Amino acid sequence: MTSALRISDGAFGYGHAPALVGVDIDVEPGQAVALIGPNGAGKSTLLKGVLGLVPLLAGTMEILGRPRAHADRSSLGYLPQADDLDPEFPVSLEQVVLMGRYRSMGWLRGPRRADRAAVATALEAVGLTARARARFGTLSGGQQQRGLLARAIASDPRLLLLDEPFNGLDQTNRDALIETLQALKERGVAILVSTHDLELARLVCDRVLLLNGHQVAFGDRDDVLTLDNVQRTFREVQVELDQHTFVTPGHDGH
Amino acid sequence: MGTDPLDLLFTPFALPFMGRALAVMLVLAVAAGVVGVLVNLRGLEFTTDGLVHAVFPGIAVGFALGGAQGLFVGAIVAAVVGAVLLTAAVRAAVASDAGVAIVLTGMFSIGVLAVSRQSDYTGQLEALLFGRILTITEGEVAQTLVIALLALALVLGTLKEQVFRAFDPTGSAAAGYRPLVLDLVLNVAIALVVVAASSAVGNLLVLAVLIVPAAIARLLTGRLVLLFPIAAATAALAAWLGLSASFAASVSSGVSLPSGATVVAALVVGYLLALGVRAARGRPRAVVA
Repeated sequence: MTSALRISDGAFGYGHAPALVGVDIDVEPGQAVALIGPNGAGKSTLLKGVLGLVPLLAGTMEILGRPRAHADRSSLGYLPQADDLDPEFPVSLEQVVLMGRYRSMGWLRGPRRADRAAVATALEAVGLTARARARFGTLSGGQQQRGLLARAIASDPRLLLLDEPFNGLDQTNRDALIETLQALKERGVAILVSTHDLELARLVCDRVLLLNGHQVAFGDRDDVLTLDNVQRTFREVQVELDQHTFVTPGHDGH
Repeated sequence: MGTDPLDLLFTPFALPFMGRALAVMLVLAVAAGVVGVLVNLRGLEFTTDGLVHAVFPGIAVGFALGGAQGLFVGAIVAAVVGAVLLTAAVRAAVASDAGVAIVLTGMFSIGVLAVSRQSDYTGQLEALLFGRILTITEGEVAQTLVIALLALALVLGTLKEQVFRAFDPTGSAAAGYRPLVLDLVLNVAIALVVVAASSAVGNLLVLAVLIVPAAIARLLTGRLVLLFPIAAATAALAAWLGLSASFAASVSSGVSLPSGATVVAALVVGYLLALGVRAARGRPRAVVA
């Protein structure tokens, strides 16, 4: 089976100082990988590296069986952090989701029936059909995240990249998002999701990639999410694991 | 001509020079309205100001070398060069506000120096800065029409991609749209509108034609599809009323009101009215987003 994403000894960043090194991962279709690490660990850098927005400084990368330079961009879906967006921007949720279809629509063309149907299906998948005409900025933070996920879904991706999709979500939106991601996995969509939430990684993801400027560990979720690995990834932070709360020590043992 | 308000609004345009002025202003209204909405959505007002001033030396040198015919050629060359340089500077992250201001004032001073070599320095500078819409020729009408339509075509051809980039630059780039290409297209379109409008309203006032109609539209609607027609219609209405008021003041009251400035004043009045409408609706928000 062709890997959805394969990176060998990848280094990402700008100039001579890579922000992330030593990435060796292989993601199969239908798998979800949680990217876990402290702030500045390189989670967003990796996602943007896959998207081609951050240079690959070393190593190799294949997306859906092709080298990155020749990857089919329309097969990639991306969910950015919603709080980067202007809440006053005069655009409806429906129009935002339609943006996910622009690549397949092509230049100089408006939406066709298939595009409108894909938008309706994506909105239904995230449970926001009733808010389709609402101005995007008037939606709650959780609804905006689900709307951006609908935009990513509308592009009919085979590899979905999600940057902190669970930040600030209430329980209802969190549950809805988890349900949507499970359905996407069952359809064979590979997912990379950056998150601080280890519990969520357990609920959604099959595999885990621990990062802290370099790859700390990668593999099956239960093999990787050990206290030792988490301690090596985080430094003196509070983490929840198996319903217990730990304060991880620093590298010097304090 | 009588003093009936309807007469004042329609009769002046039966005169050939007034008809040409209105035709040029209506074409500019549509082009500047549509391009201006994207300037507003991208928050590119200051960069646009930089482009306006970057065009000035081209206008000045072109006018000095070839008169009115040279003006358009010089302006187009300066516009395209200015658009490319500003796009590259912003992409290279060297164009802070201070950087744009240096380009803006530096290019403007070059234009003034070029004009100062002419014998009728003051008169020519005034025409370039404040426009000469009432003396525009049929050939200039055609040139303005072609340039404005070209600007409109550039923007309409990339409209959905430009809106995507304005809303979510990272998402747009992630979808595979090259920011450099989209920025270059938009900046060239802005520069072309500046060229088209310079002989009509002048280099100093052209910024208002690009910025104010879109700002009015943002105050009046939160719907994307309505922004473009509202901005274009507002600019067209201000052009019509401004030209009428200018003509009426000159003919009926003997008061000389420069046409370009009167059109801009009409736009500003429109903006104040839109502010009032917004306040009456009770939806406080940022005035110009």
